[in-house]
Amino acid sequence: MEENVYFPNKHLKLGVRIWPRMFRDLIRSRELIWRLFLRNLAAKYKQAVLGYLWAFIMPFIPIGTFMFLNRAGIVNIGSTDMPYALFALIGLSIWQLFSVGIISGTNSIVSAGSVVSRINFPREVLVFASMAESIFEFLTKSVLIVLFFFAFKFRPSWCTVFFPLALIPILILTLGLSLLLSLINGVLRDTANVVSLLVTFLMFLTPVLYPISGAKALIFKLNPISPLITAPRDLIAHGCIKDPAGFVVATVLSFVLFFVAWRIFYIAETKIPERL
Amino acid sequence: MTEPVIKVEKASKKFSKGLQHTMLYGVKDITRNIMGREAITDKIRKGEFWAVEDVSFTLKKGESLGIIGPNGSGKTTLLKMLNGIFMPDKGRISVKGRVGALIQVGAGFHPMLTGRENVYVNGAILGMRKKEIDKKFDSIVDFADIGDFLDAPVRHYSSGMYVRLGFAVAVHCDPDIMLVDEILAVGDREFAIKCYQKMHQIRKSGVSIVLVSHNEYVIREQTSNCLYLRNGKPEFLGSSEEGISRYIRDGIESRRREIVPERQEDSGIKKGAQLVLARFLDRDSNEITFIESGQELNIDIECIMREKLNKPIFGVNFYGLGGLMYCANSYYENMSFEGLPSGKVKIRINIPEFHLPADNYLCSVVLADESADNLIDWHNMAYKLVVGRAKNARGLIKLPTKWEVKEVDDA
Repeated sequence: MEENVYFPNKHLKLGVRIWPRMFRDLIRSRELIWRLFLRNLAAKYKQAVLGYLWAFIMPFIPIGTFMFLNRAGIVNIGSTDMPYALFALIGLSIWQLFSVGIISGTNSIVSAGSVVSRINFPREVLVFASMAESIFEFLTKSVLIVLFFFAFKFRPSWCTVFFPLALIPILILTLGLSLLLSLINGVLRDTANVVSLLVTFLMFLTPVLYPISGAKALIFKLNPISPLITAPRDLIAHGCIKDPAGFVVATVLSFVLFFVAWRIFYIAETKIPERL
Repeated sequence: MTEPVIKVEKASKKFSKGLQHTMLYGVKDITRNIMGREAITDKIRKGEFWAVEDVSFTLKKGESLGIIGPNGSGKTTLLKMLNGIFMPDKGRISVKGRVGALIQVGAGFHPMLTGRENVYVNGAILGMRKKEIDKKFDSIVDFADIGDFLDAPVRHYSSGMYVRLGFAVAVHCDPDIMLVDEILAVGDREFAIKCYQKMHQIRKSGVSIVLVSHNEYVIREQTSNCLYLRNGKPEFLGSSEEGISRYIRDGIESRRREIVPERQEDSGIKKGAQLVLARFLDRDSNEITFIESGQELNIDIECIMREKLNKPIFGVNFYGLGGLMYCANSYYENMSFEGLPSGKVKIRINIPEFHLPADNYLCSVVLADESADNLIDWHNMAYKLVVGRAKNARGLIKLPTKWEVKEVDDA
């Protein structure tokens, strides 16, 4: 029979033995994650008639704006390796995996409400399942991307099959940050707003809608998230990653952040119900 | 198997009072933990208080424990500690076996999803695998008994339906230990009965239950032992009967302190006569403060008649918990006290079998003239009588019965 023992500062006293436990709990909860994942999706899109369609329409707004600004000479985008609309769409799709994911992730614990403080279940499940929204939106946009391939008669390189793999680092990064931010948001409620603002701002510091060139190049090069956006895009365009070192560093950083965040989450999550 | 399934040793839990402290200490404690240092748990910082303090008890397999106490006494907090939601700040808690909770009925329910879909979500949150839910699905639906609404979005459910479905899922969790927190406030009477029956059933099958309730009748019926908490501290741990008596007695005492015995000296009520004293006596005319339900009770009322009253009426009211009132009134007995002389008079009410449910009763004595609303004197809730449960009885009172074989068909 499974025995649970509770005493003060338990998670600290366990030390390194916590890691196998964390993995075991996560694997055990895989069904629950999937269920909540589906639930979040259904909840978001069931009643919105335009719901599914919004995912198609929304990208056109920033893309269209920048195309116009570029044509009008207000903003100089520089040259891209593929038709601009496609370039921007792919960039935006990848970016929104991060931006939408991190915002719903930050809110995930608090929006679950009283379930957290009344029922005992592994709460990281909420954060993982919150990725549902951003992953679904991404899938919708990939359909759009494929349509664009045909529309612009653009032939993607065969390395595109590795595209999904190349997305893993940014997903891991999003999860890691979400775990941390959801904790902080549990105690300091305006975190969600701050994150929202920062993410919007951050988009302009990342080569999402424009390539790395010109004056902004330095900022982009310093931004650790840049390679996570450009690398998958390069795979489609060229079949090889232009900046492999950058990508590897960013990936490693993302994984490290994720594991640290997960560990912290595990330690701190017992304090959250008290403060919620 | 007499091994304990739950073992609580001096468990304590503290909280912050204000929002500021909550946030501040929250950040502080989490930071300390992250840095690898232990949070200071055994001292009270400014703005903190002990919600539960030094609670110890053990629960063996198949036993049931009630937790009672006034609002804010730490009952729900203790339950959450048993459930692993709050970590104790002092002491140690050990729980063996799968824990099921009838706490948040409908946990994880999303209004947009149908009842059917929500059964799977709720079940998953409560720890059931999909295969398990599949197997039990029909039984769950049958228990909930909400008909076609199962396939309608939950947002269209009435609160009662919501509880039915949530409870149906929770009850099929198949736990070794069940934690129940006052959730049957919503839901119709028929369903409440179903729930208590089910709980009784699972108790028979060896599931240990911890039940938090304000409803003393539920505690009496469903649990054998209870823990009485007051201000987070354990007041009493022992038989449910005694625990409840103490709880009620404490409640009455604190209520009593608020009620000033209304022996109206001069309050506009006519003073043609005056009640002096009422006394409770047993069969042998000994004064008592405790009586077993069903025994003989005598009530002596002493009064002073100054003038001749036309038609004196005497009444005695017993007030139990929940506002229940039992009454003995000479008016309805067509008892005439006409022609009572002036001076000291003692009236005796004899109740051969005092069949009242076990409770601590407050008692009022009334003297009126001609009609019940023509009050002469009134001692409001000035007397106390503790009624104990009748021996060899189940239920609220032991019905006075005669049994006989009426017919036998020798077929």
